[in-house]
Amino acid sequence: MSAGKILVVDDDPQIRRVMKATLVGHNYEVIEARTGEDALEKTPQEMPNLVLLDMNMPGMGGLETCRALRAGSDIPVIILSVRNSEKDKVAALDAGADDYVTKPFSIEELLARIRAALRRTSPESGPPAFHSDDLEIDFQSRRVHARSKDVRLTPKEFELLRYLVAHAGKPVTHRELLQAVWGPDYGDEPEYLRVFVNQLRKKIEANPAKPKYILTEPWLGYRFVGSTEG
Amino acid sequence: MKALRFGLSVLLVAAVLALYRAVHVNNTTVALSLLLAILGISAWWGLAEATVASVAAVLGFNYWFLPPVGTLTIQDPQNWVALLVFLATAVTASQLSERGRRRAAEAEARRTEIERLYALVQSMMFSGNARKTIREFVHTVVRVFGCRAAALYYRSTEEFFRSGPESNVVTDHELLAEAEIEDVSVDSGREVALGPVRLGLRPLGSMALIGRLPSEQMVRAIVNLIALTIERARALEEASHAEAARQGEVLKSALLDSLAHDIKTPLTSIKAAVTSLLSSSDHSERELLTIINEETDRLNRLAAEVIEMARIEAGKLHLEKRPVAVAELISGALADLAPAIQNRPVKVRVPDGLPAAEADHDFAMQVVKHFVENAVKYTPEGSPIDVSAELKSGKIVIGVTDRGPGIEENERVRIFDKFYRGRRHRFDTKGTGMGLAIAKGIVEAHGERIWVESEPGQGSAFYFSLAASPGGRHT
Repeated sequence: MSAGKILVVDDDPQIRRVMKATLVGHNYEVIEARTGEDALEKTPQEMPNLVLLDMNMPGMGGLETCRALRAGSDIPVIILSVRNSEKDKVAALDAGADDYVTKPFSIEELLARIRAALRRTSPESGPPAFHSDDLEIDFQSRRVHARSKDVRLTPKEFELLRYLVAHAGKPVTHRELLQAVWGPDYGDEPEYLRVFVNQLRKKIEANPAKPKYILTEPWLGYRFVGSTEG
Repeated sequence: MKALRFGLSVLLVAAVLALYRAVHVNNTTVALSLLLAILGISAWWGLAEATVASVAAVLGFNYWFLPPVGTLTIQDPQNWVALLVFLATAVTASQLSERGRRRAAEAEARRTEIERLYALVQSMMFSGNARKTIREFVHTVVRVFGCRAAALYYRSTEEFFRSGPESNVVTDHELLAEAEIEDVSVDSGREVALGPVRLGLRPLGSMALIGRLPSEQMVRAIVNLIALTIERARALEEASHAEAARQGEVLKSALLDSLAHDIKTPLTSIKAAVTSLLSSSDHSERELLTIINEETDRLNRLAAEVIEMARIEAGKLHLEKRPVAVAELISGALADLAPAIQNRPVKVRVPDGLPAAEADHDFAMQVVKHFVENAVKYTPEGSPIDVSAELKSGKIVIGVTDRGPGIEENERVRIFDKFYRGRRHRFDTKGTGMGLAIAKGIVEAHGERIWVESEPGQGSAFYFSLAASPGGRHT
């Protein structure tokens, strides 16, 4: 049985070849796309479970492709790039990517990232719902309603929110959050949290610059505040 | 034309006389009417016509109106007065109107010249090439001002620009001499106007106009115009050189980026393939695959360092400074180096309450990494490494101390040079020899200091400083 369907988007044929050989060897079903445009065409047809997206491609680049994918779906996206700067990572996460892997990478690392992106915590863990005057979260049906509007969260944003709500009132460290949401191999990527928390605030806070639900604990982590405390 | 005007003048006088012969009025009215006619003639046409009319008027008035009527004798001396009045009026009025007409003609001439100057300005090619502009100018000035020829000496290239062979009336030597002179000279006999082309006090060259000459003022205006035009063309020329240089830099940076991409793409395939094989290999293959994997990493590091060094040397490091927690900087660097330092006791000392550093996070972390890597490379297996940070006279100083062999004094300066390796390690193949040079480039781009302290036999300590962030006092 297939462990999932992965769309590999890279302009370099050798990279596509080696990815296909390896991922198929690990029970994934692999489809390929040469360009961002190609990927956007194949995604609705093939309905992959995950996209591995090269950042630097001719034509429509990885970031633009990622934004376009995000506009239409919650599918997990991992950006692959030769650049290693924090700025590039933040740009990729800002474009809606769930994760960022620097080329060259070992296949173990990539497989771990793929597993992390595909993994969902079971709905039984954590609280069933959260209610306040302008925010309603139903963790069972994965629906969020903020300021009388339905809000769409990506899977990682949703997991992050769930973990924070489950530990409402207590500060959660960066490392703890990263390991809970992304997986045990994570912990040194505070920039991931910066980007994702920003996006969450934009979606659920009335004033993202002065958040009332998700507060920053300087140099430590984040804390979710229910309306009773606020 | 002139004869016609004389005829018409006499006719006008005759008409007045004839009118009053038919209509009887007193003599004063006749005289005043004649005076009016003369005034008109002198104002419209001039003194000569008015004089002829005056004489005709006196003769006619005398013959037909003054007693004894029908003769040309003057009994009464008041007739002489009438004649004198007519003549005086004719002279005065004609002179006044003549002066007016001359003024109008002068104004008209000046207007034409200004129009031409304007036309000259408009038809000038404002290109970013001084020589091309001058060549264009020499022809344009001849066309617009209707001169026979023009010549211009351009001092900065020592060239003579001439509109054609007619301009040889003025020699090169004359133009050279004129460039040193203060003011313009117009020689209407030779039909040559010469003027120095200057911008303020700076001589740019000289110019000559030959043939129909504009006024001296206009020559001055023309040389000023060409001076400004040359200067503008020169400024444009320089700006376009600067732009070309800037584009060169942009290109270099783009080239480095694409080089990074092109080297890393095949490495990505190799690394993915070999790590995939490693995960499913049996013992006999494992050793060989491990070598491929490690060497791939080494090649990747090498490429990254070469590109980084090139970027530093091209002045292409884009720092994004923000407050950075020093403890996080050090732990991040050590996490990245985890495999290399697994057999090393590493002690980290960061005092509580140390302010955040104002630095580019990634680059500052790289400096720490290069220091630690350097310590790992040049000290015996298993020997301890200390990483510390402290606030010293307003600066945050981060240091990495080892218990290695130390560095001799004469080598301490050169250790930050590109490709320099300590004498003892010359034939050591580890690393690129660029780590400390890159660290130095990064620290200097921050405007900070990097140095080494060492006691041969005891160990070395590498330090760099960072500005303390004015904001936070967190670690």
